[in-house]
Amino acid sequence: MTASTAGPVTRASVPLKLLAIVLAGAAVSIALGVYGHVHDPTGEKPYTLFFSDTINLKVWFATAALFLATIQVLLALRLYDKIHIPRAAPSWLGDAHRLTGIVTFGLTLPVAYQCLWALGFQSTDGRVLLHSLLGSFFFGAFTIKVLAVRTHGLPNWLLPVVGGTVFTTLVLIWTTSSVWFWREFGFPSF
Amino acid sequence: MTFKRFVNVVEILTLVVALGFVVALFANEPGGGSGGVAKSGPGYDVYLANCARCHGQGGQGGIGLRLAGVVTADFPDAQEEVAVVRDGRASMPSFRNSLSATEIQDVVAYTRTLK
Repeated sequence: MTASTAGPVTRASVPLKLLAIVLAGAAVSIALGVYGHVHDPTGEKPYTLFFSDTINLKVWFATAALFLATIQVLLALRLYDKIHIPRAAPSWLGDAHRLTGIVTFGLTLPVAYQCLWALGFQSTDGRVLLHSLLGSFFFGAFTIKVLAVRTHGLPNWLLPVVGGTVFTTLVLIWTTSSVWFWREFGFPSF
Repeated sequence: MTFKRFVNVVEILTLVVALGFVVALFANEPGGGSGGVAKSGPGYDVYLANCARCHGQGGQGGIGLRLAGVVTADFPDAQEEVAVVRDGRASMPSFRNSLSATEIQDVVAYTRTLK
């Protein structure tokens, strides 16, 4: 009795939950894109930390983020039992997956801040336009993933799809920035 | 401290840092300035829309080279600077397809007033 009455309510609420999560992600992406477009780019280098130049910091941080994101995908594959190394999944696997995701996100923050604040949303050529679009999209997709992790009752396919989308977007962002930098200017120094 | 608790702490710290960056986007006004240079006119508008993001709002440099006070020494002939803006050079992109010849002339004239 309880199951038969609770079932329809749950089914009906899933699309609403999905819609709310997607709207939240879209709002983040649009907000970043709009900010980048309307904000007067400063062209300044707000920080270099221990790097010789901001651009070097960005290339290395983006590369480190991609490296950690790759590890996170591998950990996710182990969590979903798609790979079997190690054979017995350790109890801390889920927390390690979370930690790599958090640190990856943290590494993208100074990169994205400099992009938005100093450069803004640009469309001077195809690469730059694609990078601007992907950069805005990434944080929206990341928002969707975080909300999806913390929302119960969503379809099982959602997390792998959103996680894969976030990772693919990061790969494309890295390709249109760090790889471009390497090809144009050579391997960056620290 | 358990690993899970450590991850929770890192998560909270990262969230705080993320909020800090969002606040900084709106609170951190750009530095530099263009001295007594006119802040209107076609050259200024073109400069703000296309050049300031790399060369700085006041031409003080940043991602791109400094322009204020040095561009006339680097390019004694304004047409040399026009050619660089039109065709690009090194990491600077070409503006051949995004700016008209008049806009390039205007923006070059503007950069030569930066001090």
